[in-house]
Amino acid sequence: MNSIIEVKMGGLAIIREETDELKTFVGSCVAICLFDMDAKIAAMAHVMLPKKTDSKQHAAENEVGKFADTAFAYMINNMIQIGADPKRIQAKIAGGATIFSHESEISLFNIGSRNITAIKQILKETGIPLVSEDTGANFGRWVMFALSSGDMTIVSNLKKTKKVI
Amino acid sequence: MDLKSSHNDLQQLECILNTFIVSKTIPSLSVILDEPVKHFLKKTQEIQITNLDWLISNFEEMDVMSAVYVKCDGDLSIGVLWYMLEEESKPLAVKLLGKSHLSEFDKLAMSSISEIGNILTASIVNAICNEAGYKIYSSVPGFAIESLRTLLEAMASDFGDRSDTIIASAVEFYGVNSGIKLKMLLIQDPKETKKLIM
Repeated sequence: MNSIIEVKMGGLAIIREETDELKTFVGSCVAICLFDMDAKIAAMAHVMLPKKTDSKQHAAENEVGKFADTAFAYMINNMIQIGADPKRIQAKIAGGATIFSHESEISLFNIGSRNITAIKQILKETGIPLVSEDTGANFGRWVMFALSSGDMTIVSNLKKTKKVI
Repeated sequence: MDLKSSHNDLQQLECILNTFIVSKTIPSLSVILDEPVKHFLKKTQEIQITNLDWLISNFEEMDVMSAVYVKCDGDLSIGVLWYMLEEESKPLAVKLLGKSHLSEFDKLAMSSISEIGNILTASIVNAICNEAGYKIYSSVPGFAIESLRTLLEAMASDFGDRSDTIIASAVEFYGVNSGIKLKMLLIQDPKETKKLIM
């Protein structure tokens, strides 16, 4: 039976059992999945913001996914430590929606698109290929990642949609 | 979790907010709804920002909400979310627009609900400015039809780079005649709590 590990807001989890699945909910936040299918290792971070701006360390794993920059560093280092090959690591991402719309075209709450831009920049810098994404729009998504298949399943209860990327 | 506010601070803050709500927000909402309004101030608490979704009750998990978010900055930073069931917000928009029916939220209907959020937020912000002498500027209201989980996540992101915890004050308003239920969640950085209770 599959074991589902829920990643909380700002959290991060790493799995290495083929029967394990990762799950989170994102609106303007972004779910990043890094995985090495040969080593059967995957990590999911629930990123809230692009960059950590203070010097405080988020030592606890339940908040280490909060910022894109620190989440990537943590995921890559820990995946390599338990046997992932950095050359094989790939990425899938979902979320980054713009939730609140305004009458004016200027959005003060464009954190979703800023998260996506920052994450793609980090992927470019680290050389990790982004194999698929479901980002943007204006709705929240449940995101599930199955290590057995490498599939990321995205469900919107509001839009009544389900897709696999 | 490293909490910054004492129990006494939170009680004082709750008391001050209640005064503003009773003196300013309830009269404003009463005029908008054209009926008497009652309110219920829930506990004001400091919570870890990544746990903001703890505020979702089991009953609300699957509900679709019409929501307005206003961000206020200046001498004090607060975020105010107004939300109600989408199905209950349609009759309200119909009433405000003087229409007979509303099947879908069009731009005008969204605008009317946004304006309610704007007016009600202003009632609190003006009270704070008048009492404390602060200058506070409100953003353009943002409108969304979404689940409460999505709305809270957006609020958490908005405050996530300021602090690890937030002060959350939740209030429910009821139209006595219509039964319309409107909820407000006000969040602020705990470091700024003293600005209101001093």
